Amino acid sequence: MFFVRVNMTDRTFKVEETPAAYKYLGGRGLTSNVIANEVSPLCHALGPNNKLVFSPGILTGTSAPTSARISIGGKSPLTGGIKESNAGTSWAADLGVMNIQGLVIEGQPAEKGQYWGISVIWDGKPKVEFFDATQYTGKVLSEIYPAMYAKFSDKVSVCSIGMAAEHGYSNSGVVFNDMKKRPTRYSGRGGLGAVMASKGLKFIVLNRAGAPGMQIVDKALFEEGRKEMISALRTHAVTKPKGALNSYGTAVLINILNEAGGLPTRNFSSGRFKGAPMIAGEAIFESNKTRKGKEVYNHSCSPGCIIQCSNTVYDAQGEEITSCLEYESAWSLGADCEIDNLDDVALMNALCNDYGLDTIETGTTIAVAMEAGVIPFGDSKGAINLIHEMGKGTPQGRILGAGTATTGRVYGMTRVPVVKGQSMPAYEPRAIKGIGITYATSTMGADHTAGYTIAPEIMGVMGKQDPLSSEGKAALSRAFQATTAFLDSTGHCLFIAFAILDIASGYQGMVDEINGVFGTSWTAEDILKQGGDILKVERKFNEEAGIGKEADRVPEFMKTEPLPPHNTVFDVSDDTLDSVFGEL
Amino acid sequence: MKLAYFLPLEADNMQETQIDTWLYGVLARYGGEPQNRTFVNLQVALPAGGLMRDLLATLQMDTAERGITFINGDLSAMPGVQPDMDHPLKDGDRVAFFHLQSMWPFQYRHGVGMIDEMQTAINGSENIGLHHTYRSMKMF
Repeated sequence: MFFVRVNMTDRTFKVEETPAAYKYLGGRGLTSNVIANEVSPLCHALGPNNKLVFSPGILTGTSAPTSARISIGGKSPLTGGIKESNAGTSWAADLGVMNIQGLVIEGQPAEKGQYWGISVIWDGKPKVEFFDATQYTGKVLSEIYPAMYAKFSDKVSVCSIGMAAEHGYSNSGVVFNDMKKRPTRYSGRGGLGAVMASKGLKFIVLNRAGAPGMQIVDKALFEEGRKEMISALRTHAVTKPKGALNSYGTAVLINILNEAGGLPTRNFSSGRFKGAPMIAGEAIFESNKTRKGKEVYNHSCSPGCIIQCSNTVYDAQGEEITSCLEYESAWSLGADCEIDNLDDVALMNALCNDYGLDTIETGTTIAVAMEAGVIPFGDSKGAINLIHEMGKGTPQGRILGAGTATTGRVYGMTRVPVVKGQSMPAYEPRAIKGIGITYATSTMGADHTAGYTIAPEIMGVMGKQDPLSSEGKAALSRAFQATTAFLDSTGHCLFIAFAILDIASGYQGMVDEINGVFGTSWTAEDILKQGGDILKVERKFNEEAGIGKEADRVPEFMKTEPLPPHNTVFDVSDDTLDSVFGEL
Repeated sequence: MKLAYFLPLEADNMQETQIDTWLYGVLARYGGEPQNRTFVNLQVALPAGGLMRDLLATLQMDTAERGITFINGDLSAMPGVQPDMDHPLKDGDRVAFFHLQSMWPFQYRHGVGMIDEMQTAINGSENIGLHHTYRSMKMF
């Protein structure tokens, strides 16, 4: 396996064998270790000393189902701490097939306003070629992606950044192609798009032609594990064909969280939105059926995915508005802004994709702006206009593009739902205390993907603690975060967790897949330990960046303002929050 | 989405309770709109002291068809675990029924409010309701 280092200061590259220390790492495990080892925690995120690391998961590029995830690591301009953000895309699989375990973007060009692209091809080993990409700046992504395929062939995979990144926004993602070669698959969170832009890098084009494919040490064991995983995914109610995710997408959660009183609404001032059913997964499914004249099931975001949860929203003429509209996006651009017009929410999602904005951060930012009186709550046309302002880089757009925390400061707001500078996703900590603990303590800032439940064995870490007590919740959050850090390293989508949690053979299948690739004999306990090790590395980086346990807190208003309809506050003590990492 | 009304209260019968009932997905057909697969909100009249099982009977909905269920925003049931059958319903209670294709992963419901019966069931289970579905209360 190879490490490819691209120096954007002088546009040179170096290909080397993967360093021994990184041999058994992939995805988040690799990106976080490289960043911790090679980047000063005190550097400026948009300066020459930050790095951007791309790594496919351990299984990415193999035939393991639902495993084409790419992790990107760097110091985040949004949080000031370490960041890993991942996406599902053929680009990830191609990197694995080309045996590139780590692609490290370093340095910074002296030329301002000039951009390059790199094309990575296989020539006995990976080879990098540079091209001028300045002509592609200042344009929406849906306009420039076809140009890349025309330039390089329709067999390539394309990674890029949008105008939001070119403006240097802390709310800018890195985008990858979907299965229809469109720029819709995002590593959205944390502003890594701006880091890529700061290096003058507009495109990374992968051409896998001639590449050898992933190496698998024990093919029989891998195959055994793969089959178990496929069986679990194809039989579980959530992940099977025409199951919850394939039918309704992640937006199936809208109505659930709304009924639970945990759907943040009107800038986190209520847990219930009367318009929620209008933007929920069930509404999307039925609207599509009416508009297309048939039931429309979801599609995969990347090759080899058998869950296929990506939806499409069609307009009254049956034309696509956007794909896909995730739960988090429907919530942030909808309920949090009190917007219940599904077509407008879908359009906002499409605009975020076109400008290169993170949909979660965009929605929460607009909601804060709404509370500040910039536009009224529920004003979908006004919200669409604000996204255009962000894309165009107007003075107000630049304020909003800096994210929710900055927007709150500019307008003097106190109800600003962020942790470590990153806005909260769609689960209200006052109604769902467990996720509040994870939001507060995650190394990533508020992150709904930081603490997934993977296996019932996780209960073993509880010891004699009452899982319903605050201490028990802290212990569970710690275990969830550790196992998720490992899952983020495998290349598997987090959604396999739904199936392998309930089907034990599926969990063992994942372990076997990995042992098959590496020729190792890791156990479930090893996985928990490795996930914990990743968290320790990330935690240490953050502490050296000045982000210690004092930052492991939810915003003050959540401790003092009761949230309707349950009228509860976030009452988990600071000692409990400190115990999450204090006892790691 | 229009609101449907079901068994409206008679003005001269104040012994009845009205239940603010929400039926999601395919369960919407139990709200008197056979083609509806999105949601229906209806007011269901029950005799005073009515239980969850009475509400289900009035809706003519088999309890096996429902999944995640809420009473006033508190979790009362999930697939295979239905400790709420004898839960008394009060006038004005909001009850929401979800179809079996819905989901709510543990990490997104850990620490939520529950009715007492559900909380007791959770406390007595080996895995605190970690799983998505259960075949029966005995396996919980």
